[in-house]
Formats: sequence, structure tokens, C-alpha cells
Amino acid sequence: MSYLKMNQVNIGFGPSSERTEVLKNVNLEINENEFVAIVGFSGSGKSTLINLLSGLALPDSGEVIMAGKRVLSAHPDRGVVFQNYSLLPWLTVAGNIELAVKQVFPEMTAAQRKEHVEKYVDMVSLTPALLKRPSELSGGMRQRVSVARTLSMQPKVLLMDEPFSALDALTRANLQDELTAIWSKEKRTVVFITNDVDEAILMADRIIPLTPGPEATLGPNFKVDLDRPRDRAAINHNNEFIALRNKINQYLIKIKEDHEQLSERHNLTCPDLQPIDLRVMYK
Amino acid sequence: MLKYKLIKTLDIAGLKVFEPIIRLAYWDEPEVQAKKIFLFIIIPILAFLVFLGLWDFIAPRHTTKSGEVPTPPVVLKAWDGILIFHNRENQKMADFTLSGEARKNALLQVEAELQKIEETIAHSDAKLAELKNTQEAMVLKKLAPLELEFDQKSTEFNNAEKLRDEALKAFAASIAADDKTAKLKLLEQVKQSNIKKDQERVFLNTLKDQMNSIRSFVYKPAKLALSENSALMAERQYLLKRKDLLSDDNRFIKVDDAKEKLKEKEDDFLNSSGSSLLVKAKSVIRGEESILRIEQSNYAKPWTFLDQIVRSLGCVFLGFAVATIIAIPLGILCGLSPVFMAAMMPLISLFKPVSPIVWLPIIFIIVGGFIDDPEHAIMHPAFISSALTVALCSLWPTLVNTALGVASIEKDYLNVAKVLKLGFWSRLFKIVIPSALPLIFAGLRISLGVGWMVLIAAELLSSSEGIGKFVWDMFNNGSSETFAQMFVVVFIVGIVGLFLDRLMIVLQRSVSFGSNPSGL
Repeated sequence: MSYLKMNQVNIGFGPSSERTEVLKNVNLEINENEFVAIVGFSGSGKSTLINLLSGLALPDSGEVIMAGKRVLSAHPDRGVVFQNYSLLPWLTVAGNIELAVKQVFPEMTAAQRKEHVEKYVDMVSLTPALLKRPSELSGGMRQRVSVARTLSMQPKVLLMDEPFSALDALTRANLQDELTAIWSKEKRTVVFITNDVDEAILMADRIIPLTPGPEATLGPNFKVDLDRPRDRAAINHNNEFIALRNKINQYLIKIKEDHEQLSERHNLTCPDLQPIDLRVMYK
Repeated sequence: MLKYKLIKTLDIAGLKVFEPIIRLAYWDEPEVQAKKIFLFIIIPILAFLVFLGLWDFIAPRHTTKSGEVPTPPVVLKAWDGILIFHNRENQKMADFTLSGEARKNALLQVEAELQKIEETIAHSDAKLAELKNTQEAMVLKKLAPLELEFDQKSTEFNNAEKLRDEALKAFAASIAADDKTAKLKLLEQVKQSNIKKDQERVFLNTLKDQMNSIRSFVYKPAKLALSENSALMAERQYLLKRKDLLSDDNRFIKVDDAKEKLKEKEDDFLNSSGSSLLVKAKSVIRGEESILRIEQSNYAKPWTFLDQIVRSLGCVFLGFAVATIIAIPLGILCGLSPVFMAAMMPLISLFKPVSPIVWLPIIFIIVGGFIDDPEHAIMHPAFISSALTVALCSLWPTLVNTALGVASIEKDYLNVAKVLKLGFWSRLFKIVIPSALPLIFAGLRISLGVGWMVLIAAELLSSSEGIGKFVWDMFNNGSSETFAQMFVVVFIVGIVGLFLDRLMIVLQRSVSFGSNPSGL
């Protein structure tokens, strides 16, 4: 029995005359404490998928089920790490996390809450920046705060929407390692959306590609059987890794090509316009 | 480090203009700082000096009913006059309630000052008389040749006119009844004679004008001495008043006098009997009542300009507070609910452009309906009306900005609120309002500026004590000094307004996050 499930989910936007179906017939099954990465092209509806899983958006048809219950609205049980951090700029690092903690654990005393906040700030190594505001932090640090905020809610499911895509390569590698380390300490179900296949293989148990939109849907599963912890330097010479990467990349390239073949070609005729010669006019 | 602390303090206080001076003091890129100082400090000062120079040059060239348009030095002097008046009135008020040794000492001091000033005045009178004589002598000297010329010319013209008249009379008598050409010639000659007469009159008038302008000549030292003399007179008047307030008119002296009289009456009452007893009893009671009245009396101090500034500030803040209390909740409602916004839109669009001059009389009458006895109300109705007018005119920018700030909240923040399952109130107070605060404060800043402008007009119209009333009183007084004092008001209103704006910038910065809005 899978823990988080999507059942024949469809969603689209726009008025009925020019409606775009973003996701079509999406089926997904994730086990408890599994780390699933979803890779896809930009514009294929990855953020919509996260919104559906978190309950921020509701499907037009089909259903999202978590632990046997339908997801009908957002809940702290499904923590979301947004692509653009979504920190509240008027609160400090501690303040941002405390807001979440206070809401999710209202029974905590002030001292317990403080301890809790500091624990998660420490987990993402941001203790020195505890009292800083988001505007004083770098992008990597902000995303760390965002991760710490989501983890501090101790959600059952962690939904991450391209969390590292706005960061430079070095910061990105660092955060990947940190996140994997944290996950192996505190196991929980993770859905991690990315456009980076290497990142996905390095972190996930299973990789599911999302076909190009509109009418995107999930492709076949790619199981990642590499041993943990995975060493980012050594893995580059691991044959299994290389083979998997090639397989996924080939699949992505193929569906992209198929998609382009299948999609309607709009042959727009250009209007017959000639530039006006201004020299003639002002002679 | 002290340098960065200083720079940060300046930045928070909205005085970033002076940052280059501190940086220059630390020899931090001196060339860049020198350029900045030149651009942001030297140039504005120069421009202001140019403005003062132009003002000083142009103003005296126009003469009004209230004298020449005052120049900067005259305005500065008017400001001194305002301060002197303020200090003297406060001194008088203090004198009225002074008692015991302090009163006696003050009285002695005032008497000594009076004696001294009498001497100075005597001296000044003599000097003034002398200078006036000099002035007259100068005038007479210049006038003498012109007067002579005038007399000569007028007799000369008179004689010439008589001769012309006689010649014409003779000619007219000699014309035969049918001599048409001669008659026409007579007409021509009469015309010529009139033209001549006019020319002579114009000549004499010009002379007269010249003489008049010489007569109105003012000898500068005499003018200075006169103004000095009148200042001394005013001071003597003030000292005399102080003397009164420290002696016969002093509250405690008056009480003592009244008590003495009461004592006499009481003795008289106790010693008498018969028909006059009742009358005397009544008189004793009246005496007791009058003592009570005197003990509670105060010096009737007129409003001075400085008191009026303070009162205006009180009024603007009251109005601003009312506007804020109305505008922010309404703005939040508008921002939260499109339905409420749609409902409010016609009202906002309709009332926003209405001038304070229209609101004030309406509010004045409405407020008057609630207050029966204006003199004994906690707040004077004119004061309340002015404050409410300020509120009505200044609430719009805050309302519109608050609505905009609340409505344009970032979707990400709302998503955070949704994931956290925040309730309506925590969402409002922890997400919506904080994120709208910078815009709300930007609105408040505009509101306070509008309120300050509106207030002066409202006070002027409602005769509520304050800067506006001061302007109106000075306008009605119409002397050259009060004319100059109105110029003082311009600068005071400007400086206070600038100060209020700075205050709001500092507040606005303290609530804004990320990139700070820079204000001038």
C-alpha cells in the first residue's frame, strides 16, 4: 500500500474556449520514507504537480491520496520548499521558522520552541545568521532557511519544487549533500522536483520523468540502486551511474522529439509588409 | 566602528546628505566626497543664497498699503519681535502669581530697569528730536529753490493769463456781426490760449510733485532712531505692566487687599445691630466670594505665535490620528475583499477631491450641534472641526495605499500561510499587514503632508487658535510689521512640514524590508 498516491489526475487552466490541459492522466505511487525525484523540462507543469500534491491546488478530476485520505487542502503534514524560498522578509531567520513552529506545535512552551528553532537552524548550519533578515542573506542561505522552516514543521511528506535551481553550482552541490545527510538521519517521504538528472540520481531512490507539456504525464520509473552514502566524486566513475544517466537522458531526448513531432505545427503566414523608405517621405 | 555607526545613524534619520562630510573626515575617497559635498550641500546653499539675494533686491521695489514688501532682514527682525512678545507674555503671566520675597525682589529689579530705561528714553528722545531737525533742515534746504521757482512761475503764469484774457476780450469786442473769418480766428485763439494754460498747469504740477517727494524724504538715521525709540517705548510699557502685575495687580496682593477689606466689614458687622445688620451680612458674604474668585483668577495671556505652533501640531496630530484609525482598517477591508472595494470605490472617488474649504463649514456646524457651551467644552469646537477637516482630507492617501498594499501581497506569502494553515486573524496580522506596512507608511507620509497643508487653511477659516489664525490676524492688522510676520509664517510652516516629513521617512524606513526607499 503506497503512502502518497495520485489517481488519474487531470488539471488545466484557462477559459473553456482556449483551455490548456497542463497535466493529464497522472498516476503516481510513493512509499513511505521514499525519496522520489521527478525530472522534467521547463514549462511541463512540475510546479503544478507540487501544488496538487501539497493541496494548494485541487485537480479537475482524479484524486490525490495521502495515508488513505484524500488531499483537499494544504496542511503542515505536507511541507513545501518553494523554488523562490518564500521567506517573509520582515521576519528574521529565527522569526520565519518560529512562525511555522508556533503554528504546528502550539503546545510548546517558549523555551521548547526556541530550542526547536535553534535545532533546525543548526541542522542547516545557519546558527550565526539566526537573527538576520532574509535580505541580508545569500540565495543559498535563504534556501537553507526555507528548508529548515519546512523541516521544523516535521512534515510527514517533504515536497520540494526545484529548490536548488536558482543557486550556483557550488552552493547547489553543498546543499544537495546536506539535504541527503539530513534525510538519511530523519527519514521521511520526499518528492523532489528538478531539471538536473545528475542531481536526481545522486539523491533519489527512484526517478520519474515528466513528459513535456501541455498534457504532461509521468513516464516510466527508473530505480536508482546505488549504495548510500553516494560520493559525488567517486560516482562519476561508477558504471551503473553512467548507464542510468544515459538511459534517462536518452529517454528524455526521445520524448522531447516525439512531442515535437506530434505537436501541431502552426504555419503562420507572414503578412506582406515592406519597410517604408523615410528618405522618400522627407525629401 | 564609529564611522559606520555615524553613517548608519544619519541614514536612519534621513540625513544622508551629510554622509560625505563624515566620510571626508575619515579621508575616505576625498575626491568623491568633495564632489558629493559640492553637489548636495554647496549647490543647495548657493541656490538658497541666490534666492535670498533676489528677494532682497525685488521686494523693496513694490510698495503696498502695509509698506514695502519685507526683505529678509526685516523678516528676521519680525521673528525677533515674535519671540520678544512670547517671552514678555510668559514673564507677565509668571509675575501675576509671584508672591513673597520673590515678588519683592522682582519688583525692585523691574523698578531699577524702569529707571534705567527712562534715562535711555530721554536720551533717545533728544537724539530723535535732533535728527528730525536735521531732516527738516535738509528738506528745507532742498525745497527752498524749488519753492522760489514755483512762486515766480505761478505769478508769471497768472500775469500772462490775465494779459491773454484781456487781449481776447478786446479782440472779441472788435469783431463785426457778419465777419465770419474773424469769428473763426477768435475760436482758434481761445483754443490756443487754453492749450497754453494747460501747459502751464502741467509745468506747475511737476514742480509740486518734485517738492512733495522732497518733503517725504526720510533721513535714514532719523528713521532708525524712530524705530529704536518706539522699541524703547514698548519696553517701557511692558515694564510698567510688569510693575503693576508685581504690585497692585498681583494675585496675592489683590487677595490681601480683599482680605483686609473683609476684615473691616466683619468688624463693622459684629459691632453693629439693628436695621443695617442684614445689609452688612450680605456685604461680608460678597467679600468672601470675591476673595475666592480672585484666588482662582489667572493672567489673561493672549496666544503667542509659539503657543499657536504647538497647538497647530496638536491639531494636525489629532486629525492625523483620526484619519489613520479610519483609513487603515477600511483600506485593509478594501484590499481583502473585492466586493467591499467595489462598494467603497464610488465614495472614495467622490469625496477624495473635495476641498477642505468645503468640508470645514459643514463639519463646524455639525460639531457645533454636539457642543452647547463652546467656552467650557473640553476641546473647543473650532479645534475639533479643524482636526476633523484635516482627517477628512488626509485619510485618502492612506486608505488607497493600504488597499493597494493588502491587495498586492505576494502569492508566495499566501502559499506559506496556506501550508501553515494559518487562521484568518493570524494570516492578517502575521502575513498580510506586515507585507503591506511599507506601502501603508508611504500613504501615511503623504497623508501627514496633506493634513499639514489643509490645517492652516482650516484654522484660518474656523478661527481655531493656531498658525492659520495667526496669519489671519496678521492680515487683518495690516501693519508693515505684521506683513513681515506673515513671511515668518511661511518659513515656520515649511520647516515644520519638512520636519514632519522626515519623521515619517524615518518611520517608513523602520518598517520597510529589503531595498530601502530613499527619500529627500
